[in-house]
Amino acid sequence: MSYITQYQYYENGGLPPENANWGSYQYVSLEDIVNNFMLMYSGNHNLVNNEERFKVLFHAKRAIQELNYDAFKEIKILELSVCDTLRYVLPSDYVNWVRISLYRDGLLMPLTENIQTNWSGAYLQDNDCRILFDIDGNALSPQYSDLDYDRIKGTKQSIYLNQHSEYYGKSGYCVDGAWYFEYGIGARYGLNTETANANPTFKINPKGGVINFSSGMSGELCVLEYVSDGMENGDDSLVTVNKLFEEFIYAYIEFAILSTKLNTQEYIVARKRKRKAALLRNAKIRISNIHPGRLLQNLRGRDKWLK
Amino acid sequence: MINSVRQTVMSVLNKNNYGYISPSDFNLFAKQAQLDLFEDYFYSYNYQINKENARKSGTGYADITKGLEEVIDTFSSTLPLIQSVQKTNGYFLPSLLTTNNDYYLINKMLINNKVIVFGATTGTVGGQNKIIDITADFNADGVEVGDIVGVEIGGIAYNLVIIAINTTGTELTVAPNVVNTFPLNYTIYKKKNIKEAEKVTHSKITMLNNSILTSPNLTYPAYTQEGLIGDMFPDEEVNHPGQVVCQYIRFPFVPKWTFVTLANGEPAFDASQPDYQDFELPNDDEVNLINKILQYAGMSIREVAAVQFAQAKEQGNNQEEK
Repeated sequence: MSYITQYQYYENGGLPPENANWGSYQYVSLEDIVNNFMLMYSGNHNLVNNEERFKVLFHAKRAIQELNYDAFKEIKILELSVCDTLRYVLPSDYVNWVRISLYRDGLLMPLTENIQTNWSGAYLQDNDCRILFDIDGNALSPQYSDLDYDRIKGTKQSIYLNQHSEYYGKSGYCVDGAWYFEYGIGARYGLNTETANANPTFKINPKGGVINFSSGMSGELCVLEYVSDGMENGDDSLVTVNKLFEEFIYAYIEFAILSTKLNTQEYIVARKRKRKAALLRNAKIRISNIHPGRLLQNLRGRDKWLK
Repeated sequence: MINSVRQTVMSVLNKNNYGYISPSDFNLFAKQAQLDLFEDYFYSYNYQINKENARKSGTGYADITKGLEEVIDTFSSTLPLIQSVQKTNGYFLPSLLTTNNDYYLINKMLINNKVIVFGATTGTVGGQNKIIDITADFNADGVEVGDIVGVEIGGIAYNLVIIAINTTGTELTVAPNVVNTFPLNYTIYKKKNIKEAEKVTHSKITMLNNSILTSPNLTYPAYTQEGLIGDMFPDEEVNHPGQVVCQYIRFPFVPKWTFVTLANGEPAFDASQPDYQDFELPNDDEVNLINKILQYAGMSIREVAAVQFAQAKEQGNNQEEK
């Protein structure tokens, strides 16, 4: 990719969208990476020789995917409202979540994951608990399992958290925002700390591609912060990587090819492995932006008075 | 060079005036010899690369690889390919029929990867350097001077360069002047948007097409070869006239020592004949050509001494060059 003029940078040469090139200088494109690798690291006088370009492309993309999962600090954020199905369909480029929050009254309230499942599949059964099948031999399923139904309808018990209420810490039913409690007899022991939060909870169904929320989330705005794999929905021309990681990607490709190539001496493979690991460490440190000014700001917290 | 080679061969071969080979025999031997030496260049090139990798090769005047590259590059051609009728993503590889010369080695296949607009011409008024389409608005489409127009005319593919666009955007002035017919299917490509297609074997292409990370696309196109047709991938996007350009090493032209017959029957060299063709190898190959032809000619007249002499000379030369 060639350098662009400042007019192209700031105003995209007068063409829409105006912001097409903003911040682009931080990145190097996948196309440049593959091109540079084929030009500089592959050939008659290089360790990598007679390798197909698609292999280089594959390893370059794998490196970018891996970097996207943890090393990059590039979080994607998507806001969607959750309707009465209490479901949030995962974004098309979702790989893993970072934080899920409820956005209400101008505040982001991070939600807690309920590690106890709040959703389930189900099969229809007869009175003898035998599964019912259709004529093709497939088990029949209801629209919702009982677990789902209880969650969606709010008929599932959860802990009521309101310190100013006499029902604080008791199990109850939240239906359309109103709480109902059973008549309590005797003492209660043990709080389920996993869900002990005033905010709704969630559980992700990865294969189903949805986040299932507890009933308090109905009609609320959900903000999902997540990581993708950087593949830009398959459009290779849009795949980019931060320049701080450029050298690491070359090293990664070189190592990936040499380590799987027959008759490559082990010392060469080891050398390339070390180089790859060292470059990754360097790049991570660089992108962490650890510098004195930042540390100073954090250290000022020492002077804070604790009440 | 060809006359000099023939005279030397005849001179060495001559023995009591019976060591004679006819012009037609000489031409046959000359073709064989040139092909032999032409192919040797590629093996020599590989040998020199290996020497370089073993750090046994020098630079500057000792850079033998560079000289070999120069000779091979004299046979390099770059031409757009014409589309196959059967498959829209199939393009005929260089041949005597399509590009007027056979390929020895396809070095790279290039793709014009950004199609701006395509259509058919509606007239030829104004000369053979005009692409006229009254239904188009090339200005609105974003066509610019320097962009490429791909067309096929008379079984030959052309990549014409736009040198002017009229104000109404219906007429392009292009170079060279070859547009002599209409309606003519044309496709306009953005300049400097060329990607190299990778050769993939048939055993890999199906898996490659199914690969989510590496399936061919316009940024990373690929091709396979089937007979004399190159099948381009992604097939639904590489299927326009002039979209595929091939850079290849062609075979040398067949040498032909042409002559006029004199009264006494002795053929006299005549380079003005229309079918005359000199050797295409460089002058420093004259000795090698003589040795090669001498071996064939010596065998032809059953003169073992001539064959052995030529072989010994050839081996000597090879030793020196290594």
